[in-house]
Amino acid sequence: MNKTISISRYNPEQDSQPQLQTYQVVSEHSTSVLDALLQVQQQDPSLSLRWSCRMAICGSCGVMINGIPKLGCKTFVRDYPEQLVISPLAHFAVEKDLIVDMSPFLQHLSAVKPYLINAEKSLQPHKQTPAQLAKYQQFANCINCGLCYSACPQFGLNPEFIGPAAITLAQRYNLDSRDQGKAVRMPQLNSKNGVWACTFVGFCSEVCPKKVDPAAAVNQGKVASASDFIISMFTP
Amino acid sequence: MTPFTEPPKRSDEPIWWALFSAGGVCFAVLMPGSILALALLPALGLTSADSLNYARVSALLYQALYGMAGLAFVGGVICLPLFHTAHRIQHGLHDLKLGGGLLSKICCYGLAAFASAIAIGLLLAGQLQ
Repeated sequence: MNKTISISRYNPEQDSQPQLQTYQVVSEHSTSVLDALLQVQQQDPSLSLRWSCRMAICGSCGVMINGIPKLGCKTFVRDYPEQLVISPLAHFAVEKDLIVDMSPFLQHLSAVKPYLINAEKSLQPHKQTPAQLAKYQQFANCINCGLCYSACPQFGLNPEFIGPAAITLAQRYNLDSRDQGKAVRMPQLNSKNGVWACTFVGFCSEVCPKKVDPAAAVNQGKVASASDFIISMFTP
Repeated sequence: MTPFTEPPKRSDEPIWWALFSAGGVCFAVLMPGSILALALLPALGLTSADSLNYARVSALLYQALYGMAGLAFVGGVICLPLFHTAHRIQHGLHDLKLGGGLLSKICCYGLAAFASAIAIGLLLAGQLQ
């Protein structure tokens, strides 16, 4: 079956603004949006896009599909019988066509020190009970695709907002029984660009392809930050 | 964008968020009951008009539990919901790009504090009479 799709094209060296271009692709029952984009790239090699694993684990192929952030590989063309418009992830600067500059996102992630901080220098494995694992496991499923930043209206208004994925990652380590780094992560979460920039819209959790539920992590972060605030009033 | 080199300043948002959360609970729990008991049931004639007579209501507000019941009612049905409303307006203004800064913060929370002070002031004035 032939299907017409529209793709946002933009070459910053030539174009003043992005423009939609239409292409014809062959769509079967199992054709994903990423498959369709790769077909287009065969027709027109100048089309730029990021992709890698084709199985929703690398998080590279995030695009806006009819204005909603989605992974191209996890979205099927058959679900869009009417219009199918593909554009680059919102709230990020476009480098070319569907490729955006993810460096602000990566900077925000690294700001929360997303690694185990533990002064203990033991060569033995750190044991954890299933209950201790369950506390953070869901938040550890993030694949860093950035869809939640494109979904977040607060990140759109304020690019300094540390954002859903970074807060989720901070929670992931703060809740880990092997970690002792909460005290060094809290200042980022306590700031006006930390958890407090969130107004609990919840669209981040809706678009998350791995069901990580970043909105829940942000709200847990608000409770953690509020108790940190109260504790700070009673400590010098 | 600013690199994350030094720890950022702590936000004062926990105070407003705590008032917002407490106000939200009051809005959800106390407000419907109050509207039902004070407005709908008497209007529909399902409670006797006498149950809201001046002597009874003033005794509830001013004297019950040494005046604490009146204070809890005004706090839970007027003051905290006012701060809840102020918080929503403050963040709504930020979303509409009309404010969200210090000025709108002072206006929103200032108005809530002012109206709360009047409500508590009137209650205390009645209790001290």
